[in-house]
Amino acid sequence: MLRRTFLSLSMGTAIALCSTFPSAAQAEELTIFWAEWDPANYLQELVNLYTAETGVTVTVQTTPWPDFQTKTFAEFNAKGDAFDMVVGDSQWLGAGSTGGHYVDLTDFFAKHKIGETMAPATVAAYAEYPGKSGKYWAVPLEGDAAGWAYRKDWFEDPKEMAAFKAKYGYDLGVPKDYKQLRDIAEFFHRPDEKRYGIAIYTDNSYDAMLMGIESTIFSYGGELGDYASYKVDGILNSATNAEAVEMYKSLYGFTPPNWGKTFFQESNQAITENLAAMSLNFFAFFPALANKATNPNADVTGYFANPAGPGGAQHAALGGQGISIVSYSKKQEAAMKFLEWFIKDETQKKWAELGGYTCNKAVLESEAFRTATPYNEAFYQTMFIVKDFWAVPEYAELLTQINTHVYPYVISGEGGSAQAVLDNVAKDWNATFKKYGRGG
Amino acid sequence: MAAIATLNPSSRAAARGWSDLTIRNVFIIPTILFLIVFNIFPLLYSLGYSFTDFRASVNEPVKFVGLANYRELLSDPRIWNNFWVTAKYVMVSVFGQMVIGFGLALLLNRKIPAKGLITTLLMLPMMMSAAVVGLFWRLLYDPSWGPLNYALGLGDLAWLSDADLALYAVAITDIWMWAPFVMLLSLAGLSAVPQHLYEAAAIDRAGSWYTFFNITLPLVAPLLLIALIFRTMEAFKTFDVAYILSTQPTTELVSIKLYKFAFQEWQTGKSCALAYIVLIMVLAITNIYVKYLNKAKER
Amino acid sequence: MAVVTSSRKKAMNRVAIAAVLVIAIIFLSPLYWIGSTAFKPRSLATTVPPTVFFQPEINSFIKLFTKRVQLTKPVDPAVYEAAPWYEKRVYDGGERILRVGPNIQLSQYPNRFMNSLIVAIISTVIAVSMGTITAYGFSRFKMPGEADWLFFILSTRMLPPIVVAIPMYLMYRVVGLNDSHIGLIILYTAFNLSFSVWLMKGFMDEIPKEYEEAALVDGYTRMQSFFKIVLPEAVTGIAATSVFCFITAWNEYAFALIMTNRRAQTTPPFIPSQVGSGLIDWTVIAAGTLLFIIPVAVFTFMLRNHLLRGVTFGAIRK
Repeated sequence: MLRRTFLSLSMGTAIALCSTFPSAAQAEELTIFWAEWDPANYLQELVNLYTAETGVTVTVQTTPWPDFQTKTFAEFNAKGDAFDMVVGDSQWLGAGSTGGHYVDLTDFFAKHKIGETMAPATVAAYAEYPGKSGKYWAVPLEGDAAGWAYRKDWFEDPKEMAAFKAKYGYDLGVPKDYKQLRDIAEFFHRPDEKRYGIAIYTDNSYDAMLMGIESTIFSYGGELGDYASYKVDGILNSATNAEAVEMYKSLYGFTPPNWGKTFFQESNQAITENLAAMSLNFFAFFPALANKATNPNADVTGYFANPAGPGGAQHAALGGQGISIVSYSKKQEAAMKFLEWFIKDETQKKWAELGGYTCNKAVLESEAFRTATPYNEAFYQTMFIVKDFWAVPEYAELLTQINTHVYPYVISGEGGSAQAVLDNVAKDWNATFKKYGRGG
Repeated sequence: MAAIATLNPSSRAAARGWSDLTIRNVFIIPTILFLIVFNIFPLLYSLGYSFTDFRASVNEPVKFVGLANYRELLSDPRIWNNFWVTAKYVMVSVFGQMVIGFGLALLLNRKIPAKGLITTLLMLPMMMSAAVVGLFWRLLYDPSWGPLNYALGLGDLAWLSDADLALYAVAITDIWMWAPFVMLLSLAGLSAVPQHLYEAAAIDRAGSWYTFFNITLPLVAPLLLIALIFRTMEAFKTFDVAYILSTQPTTELVSIKLYKFAFQEWQTGKSCALAYIVLIMVLAITNIYVKYLNKAKER
Repeated sequence: MAVVTSSRKKAMNRVAIAAVLVIAIIFLSPLYWIGSTAFKPRSLATTVPPTVFFQPEINSFIKLFTKRVQLTKPVDPAVYEAAPWYEKRVYDGGERILRVGPNIQLSQYPNRFMNSLIVAIISTVIAVSMGTITAYGFSRFKMPGEADWLFFILSTRMLPPIVVAIPMYLMYRVVGLNDSHIGLIILYTAFNLSFSVWLMKGFMDEIPKEYEEAALVDGYTRMQSFFKIVLPEAVTGIAATSVFCFITAWNEYAFALIMTNRRAQTTPPFIPSQVGSGLIDWTVIAAGTLLFIIPVAVFTFMLRNHLLRGVTFGAIRK
């Protein structure tokens, strides 16, 4: 018995050993780490072309969005070489560059004139850190921003239009500002008919809920802080921002039931399951809505850019990522070669064709791109009004703090008022910045 | 080394092959060493870090901060809330598991057709990965696309978005998963109760309550206590189910807070300190249990 | 009188059996839901009222094993006609299978499954064999401070995995065991060892010492008597312990989530990462879950007769 046990044990160990180190033998293999969503699959399809051309196998490894940051930084902080490249969120640039996790791509940028071929907003947001420093850490890969999907058939129903006009005094249509957005959400919110007004992000495990709130704050004309001086007081907790948070909370009142931990899948499901009239989501998640096989309402789903705030400003939260080379990778040269291939115009064109949101200026502006899908035009419009979260190295803590305070307020009304809640966030942020010696 | 008493001190075994002392050492010491290296050493390692401001995410020099981490944690009402949530969760979920598991075992402890199959089927939930269970129960609980509310006629009851209800939803899922474990241990205890004791009770015309409290329960008690120890320990450790099901502040168990400290905010030193506080609590609770267990065994 | 009692007993029995059936149905309905979802068309997975009767299909399993991507425009009819049947199914679901050159690209599921098998089997074998001999050692020989050692062994299981995960992560990154099979095997062994010692100790205590003494008199060495007399007697305990260790190692999530990536990732953290893009594809998750529960269910079913007698922890007096 024991002899058999030992035999199987040693055999097992041998198997484990063999399977632990196979990658060392084959150098021609690159791994890119990204989150699990359509663009990652499109990227896999794109890099398969590279494999066919060069024989280098490239694998796009994915993990669910809520774990993406944790997994990446666990690997970075272990100085692990599991990934050669990471398609990292824009707000990681600070941590990635100052922590020494990303390879400096400034020379690469100059050599290939990436600053000129890629759209300026994407270069600033996905590649450069600190802002306006001329130092680059990533190549813009996937542009993205928050937008909205809506039910055209509900909006264009003559009965609904008449009833809406009677109640609110103006025509039912794509909302031009947040007040209209709220009115329409309220109008369509009919729990008795199992129809609800609006679907928004509420998941507080990563930046999902913040993306929704941020879009609102930016359109209201608010800011999260002074990115240069690290001043927070009176900016983050301004009356404007409090109003924006109140607005987000009031929108939560018109969501389908059990809407307390929702992200892109639930937002899309609100449309496919006939639950909501409008749904907040990042553009990169819209392919599932345009696809008739997955969305029975595909033909009657429309898209619009984030509406303006009361002051007329119109902005949207930036999503999207640049691709960086991991400094612990043992195949940096091969990775560099891959990037050279990736930034070629024809690769970028192919990338857009497959479904990726290229950041290549020429491709973005082409008629072919803007009409390729029902939502590309709205995406194109949005990319001019995007704003991003703070890319400081300690942004993960800022994120947790904002989730800790704002989430309970939006979901259960805990914390008194939006103003009080934001005051608390400001207090925490100040303490965090003080801890790391940022600002004055 | 103290002298060891063998089974039979005059045995000739010592003269042949390995001596008993050697066998004892060869059999026991590797395990102890293994556990020391992979359980105790890491703990000492993290004990050291718990007195520093170490962050695994930066390459800055580590500063010794004394008890600051502990002081900060213990004076933070949010941490106390995490402990309170955990305590509530452990009580609800372990109580549910014990009642349902033991109840099931009482029902099953008789001649039932296909008993082996039914028992194995009932154990299926505990054979599943908690992560996947969490994922699926999110689907089951959803009022708009899950079957549970429809089947029970609960309408729009928002299990996971309701701050008060979410913890119970997590506990129900955990009870579903682990009541079978209690059932198995209880069954093992029940089936070992000698039949002649019942027969004797029947001859004495003892009522079924009397039989239950004076024969069944005392004999099963040690195993029930063991089930209780293991389930309490496991419930205290719960991470995956709660983490995947809900992110409400009212369901933030200590282990989730730890995970956030350690792997999201990278406050490594502080997370080590919190880990120690948790460890001391669990040790204290288990110590009490084990004392009762030894008493129950002696009876 | 006796007749009355026995007829009452019979009625009680029937009530109990009925109750068992009802509870079993309640307990198993979530499992039925997972199992049936694996065979549902995607559009029926999230309906309210829930879909109970449907035409089963195996599309989810095709999707589970292939790397796919969402269609952005309708597929070319000529391409569709030329595609093999399984690819047509994927097209029907609004997706296309990726290819490297002419070859279909498979998903990582088989690889993750393999990792799970390697890690769970090896760590179970080690934990159970070490647990068995250690339990024997504690049961047969006097050890100074025995109760303390046993409590120490149990206490190693009390730590929340996250508590251990932090220092282990820090240590592993120094010695380079992150994302390796061996690293995970060591962790799961350490995890299961205490349980294994405790369960086996109770069992060893119940094996009469006289058996061995007789063997020693017959000229066996102590080692021989352990292998030839004690181990066969302990099979039931070993079987029960193996089941529990295997279940734990097979399903562990927290460590695998933090410590493994490209090379050694096991199935539990992998299944949630297949939630699908844009919309959750419950059918594929259900398919992955269903296949994943088969090894552990079969293993448990095979050893079911040992389970009841094997979990006594020495707490039942004979």
